Amino acid sequence: MAPDRALTGGAGEGAACTTMGPTDAEVKAFLDGLGVTPSSNLIDLLQKVQGRFGYLPRNALEELSRRTKIRLSRIYGVVTFYAQFYTEPRGRHTILCCRGTACHVKGASKVLDAVKRTLGIREGQTTPDMEFYLETVACLGTCFLAPVMMIDDQYYGRLTPQRAEAILKSYRKGQ
Amino acid sequence: MERMQSVHDLNRIREELRSRPRPDVEIRVCSTGCRALGALDVCRDLESEIAAQGLQGRVRVIRTGCLGLCAGAVAVSIQPGDIFYRGVAPSDVREIVEKTVVGGAVIERLCASGQNGPVANREEVSFFKHQMRRVLSNCGVIDPRSLEDAIAHGAYSALAKVLSGMSPDAVINEVIASGLRGRGGAGFPTGKKWQFCRSAPGHPKYVICNADEGDPGAFMDRALLEGDPHLVIEGMIIGAYAIGANSGVVYVRAEYPIAIEHTELALNQAREAGLLGRNILGSGFDFDIEIRKGAGAFVCGEETALIASVEGKRGMPRPRPPFPAVSGLYGKPTNINNVETWGNVPGIILNGAAAYASVGTAGSKGTKIFALAGKVSNTGLVEVPMGATLRQIVFDVGGGIPRGRKFKAAQMGGPSGGCVPAQFLDLPIDYDSVQKIGAIMGSGGLIVMDEATCMVDIARFFTDFVQKESCGKCVPCRIGTRRMLEILTRITNGQGELEDIDRLQRLGEMIKEASLCGLGQTAPNPVLSTIRYFRDEYVAHIVEKRCPANSCEALITTTCSSACPAHVNVPEYVALIAEGRISEALDVIRRRNPFPSVCGRACHHPCEKFCRRGDLDAPVAIRDLKRFASDHVKEIGHPPVWRGPRRGRVAVIGSGPAGLSAAYFLALMGREVKVFEALDVVGGVLAVGIPGYRLPRRALKRDIEYIRRAGVDIETNHPVRSLHELKEAGFDAVFVAVGAHKGLPLGVPGEDLRGVEDALSFLRRVARGKVKKLRGRVVVVGGGNAAVDSARTALRLGASSVTILYRRTRDEMPAIRDEIEDAIMEGVDMRFLVAPVAILGDGRVHAVRCAEMTLGDADESGRRRPVPTGKEVEVQADYVIVAIGQAPELDFASDDGTLVVSRGRMEAHPVTQRSGEGNVFAGGDVVTGPATIIEAIAAGQRAAQAIDVFLGGTGELPPEVPLASRAKPDESVAQIPRQPVEVVPADVRRGNFDEVLKAYSLQTACTEARRCLRCDLEKQETRRHV
Repeated sequence: MAPDRALTGGAGEGAACTTMGPTDAEVKAFLDGLGVTPSSNLIDLLQKVQGRFGYLPRNALEELSRRTKIRLSRIYGVVTFYAQFYTEPRGRHTILCCRGTACHVKGASKVLDAVKRTLGIREGQTTPDMEFYLETVACLGTCFLAPVMMIDDQYYGRLTPQRAEAILKSYRKGQ
Repeated sequence: MERMQSVHDLNRIREELRSRPRPDVEIRVCSTGCRALGALDVCRDLESEIAAQGLQGRVRVIRTGCLGLCAGAVAVSIQPGDIFYRGVAPSDVREIVEKTVVGGAVIERLCASGQNGPVANREEVSFFKHQMRRVLSNCGVIDPRSLEDAIAHGAYSALAKVLSGMSPDAVINEVIASGLRGRGGAGFPTGKKWQFCRSAPGHPKYVICNADEGDPGAFMDRALLEGDPHLVIEGMIIGAYAIGANSGVVYVRAEYPIAIEHTELALNQAREAGLLGRNILGSGFDFDIEIRKGAGAFVCGEETALIASVEGKRGMPRPRPPFPAVSGLYGKPTNINNVETWGNVPGIILNGAAAYASVGTAGSKGTKIFALAGKVSNTGLVEVPMGATLRQIVFDVGGGIPRGRKFKAAQMGGPSGGCVPAQFLDLPIDYDSVQKIGAIMGSGGLIVMDEATCMVDIARFFTDFVQKESCGKCVPCRIGTRRMLEILTRITNGQGELEDIDRLQRLGEMIKEASLCGLGQTAPNPVLSTIRYFRDEYVAHIVEKRCPANSCEALITTTCSSACPAHVNVPEYVALIAEGRISEALDVIRRRNPFPSVCGRACHHPCEKFCRRGDLDAPVAIRDLKRFASDHVKEIGHPPVWRGPRRGRVAVIGSGPAGLSAAYFLALMGREVKVFEALDVVGGVLAVGIPGYRLPRRALKRDIEYIRRAGVDIETNHPVRSLHELKEAGFDAVFVAVGAHKGLPLGVPGEDLRGVEDALSFLRRVARGKVKKLRGRVVVVGGGNAAVDSARTALRLGASSVTILYRRTRDEMPAIRDEIEDAIMEGVDMRFLVAPVAILGDGRVHAVRCAEMTLGDADESGRRRPVPTGKEVEVQADYVIVAIGQAPELDFASDDGTLVVSRGRMEAHPVTQRSGEGNVFAGGDVVTGPATIIEAIAAGQRAAQAIDVFLGGTGELPPEVPLASRAKPDESVAQIPRQPVEVVPADVRRGNFDEVLKAYSLQTACTEARRCLRCDLEKQETRRHV
């Protein structure tokens, strides 16, 4: 899925990323805690690293490569194959706009337009203030709530463009 | 829970759990799917309210999985009484505790509604009544986070039975005998698959639960894992025992956080209790399960790709054979089944194969869970026997289509499946029947689509999906789907060509043949099935540059304006009304439609059906606003009259809506137009067909006067006998718009009796004042607008009773809904499922003999066919009005070979209205058969443009100069409800021909107009932005 969002362009395309990645020492300390060996499951490790740092920093992947004895190119092959791995830092809140069939037939594209308009970014981008990262997803499996979006772990269902806008504003105001 | 050492321990613990005192009241709250709409807040408030009332210990709040009716979120059920509440909010909690928990009373406001009012008992709610919940029997009942709850409700009983002496072969044989087929989509016999894996050489062996439910629109597996994870785990343990596997994996997508959480918890509980791990229940059998989270790749639902992903690699499929049963995970024999398949296993073992197979069809046994979503009232999780029909699922369980729209298709099987059109509503659904009609059962996602869903766009949507999800390993899938997407995109953008349809079919067949895995082999299905059943929609996009569902962005302005056949700029004039600029609003309407006064009353307003405000609460009352504008402006006004010399002479035959609309626009474009009308009144069907209580004559006269002022010359009492006559008179072009005024006969004996008349001639005679009174019993045959108009007219003329006989039921009547409603309120009797076979009488009619009908299977349009039952009834009648159809009278042109006629109607190009190669154009009912006023007006408009171009002009309609404010509506407009129109009470209006509906006041109209969401501005803004 979306293999073009790979090594360089990536998640922050078009938006300034000012956050510094983790230091090598931080990476090592975290991987020590995981007890990485050549027999560890790579996807599992990547999910944990991303869970810790919010994305997959290059130095972490290099360190993983050394410890698992898997070539870095192979690791990147896996990273870029799956939609949920990111090689660049993303906004504090992740917005997933569902484009599943049920959402689609219930006007998801209008909702997505409203989100894009409100935040001034496209899919795969982060707002310049690093608050929101916007992504579309094939289906959230909450079709009964269509059209739906997810902000971090919270679902918002039965959206209209107006409601989506109001929800985003409440996040801006709230934080 | 203590660690169980034996089956005996398990049984003992179950008995202990069951004999524990139960609370007086149990409140079950869906805390998985409904969480998105505040279920956890409801639970929390319930608990604190129960504590506040000192009811702890006596009342238990259970956070369950999905109760099924997701449309009723937050869904709650209460024991005793099995009371079902829907749409529960925290603000309802106190009342629930006080009235229902303490008082034992039902709160009707929170109940589901049935045919005769609110329904309290869950089993009686139609959504549940038509289901058979077997696999889901504990889902929404137990707390999925509690092993104790699960065991008390029978979890692991099947495992106990297996470990009490069933051999692995006996288990496999039982599953084979049950006829269970894989619920993941392909439907391979599960027992056979287990047998292959068991007999494959190699050790260790693995079992995998495929919970990578990636089909957009499917959420069965999610709900089952969230709501009853122990059921799935139990199925896997039994399978592993039968196959001889000691390790298992649940591969679940990361988008399902609750499912992951509940499964993880359940695995830990089972492990601690001795139900997983070493020496399960002291049997000597070892088996454990781990969870692997997917990382977002649809192709991982394919079994070989899934295995690669579990191994930590890129999820790419590989050719089969070898099948995973021989060489799967880490090269070892592996058995993969999906969540629902595993969930079926315990029931088969516990109740036996015979009991299981007693449900279902010959080739597909048991039940099937469907995720019902899209344009259906009761979205949710549905379990029905195999062999249930789509009609049962969508209408009985699903409650039908909201907003009075028509069912168009159901998409089954996700990106690998297809669209099932209305004609198959009565087909029993099983693996084989669905395959035959070009879809697949798939995992059970069932997305309902209505008139507002574009089938080309759906095909594009799925192709976009598979193109993005194609892993890229094989060329046909990677490149072929991209080419298909490009073609579909250009069609939806209005840049397609007719050859594209063949190209898509050729490409599709090629991709199916040549792709490596299931993803590619099925990827073209949505495209091929939509071409198969909805080719006309493809053609409309290509030829007319029109999206019939008003959904393709590039082809529409706003949904309302696009849904209007005449493309009136609705948001513009509605906004002007909101600003109080009524006369300008009227001008905007007249740029595209010279009949605001007529259409403000008698239009069937497709604009409102597609109004997006209707998804929020109710559509903007567009027709009533149009009526208001035309009534409020007292001056008839002046059109932008052509100032120069008029060039090109055009004859228009017929002064109905099509003819006058064409004449009006041609006059504005500087043509010399003459309208020939056979009768002595102008207006065609508007004057002699539609009764005055719906369309007063003065309203029609206003519009006609305005049209005359544009420079249109109308000659009445001038029937055109032949087109030669017009040519000789020197006309350069002719527009034929004679309508369809010939009533079709029933074709039964007795039609020539006195007192039998066709509806059009009856309505015409009434309109001309030839019938003033009607005595006795009137019977009207038919279900369309002419039938309802005749019935209501007969009532007003003094008939002692009026009965409509219709061969289907009210739901299938083609007449405008509101008119049917009004007729019944006025006292028209309707008898359904009767078809006349003879009219009886002696010189004069005295009765109609009818065959009683019943509804059979769906016809092409999805409406159920009437089928005679063999019984007959007689209905007494003094008059019989026949309203079963109308046809054009084309004999005026029988001597002329230039007219293109087919099946009794004239043929014309859908865009130019040109008939044949000459200078003859045609439009309105003469081409379409009896249709609507606004469609006729639109045909006239199109013909005017084409005739102007034919005569060397540009064909340009009056320009759409923006007048209204560009300010977006503020949030407060969301709170304004649709403003009702005053209606004359039924008992008053049935005695006269006065207009039934009143107009808005200025203030009410402005309020109503403010409800418009101004989708026109949104679109402009999005265009600017992206």
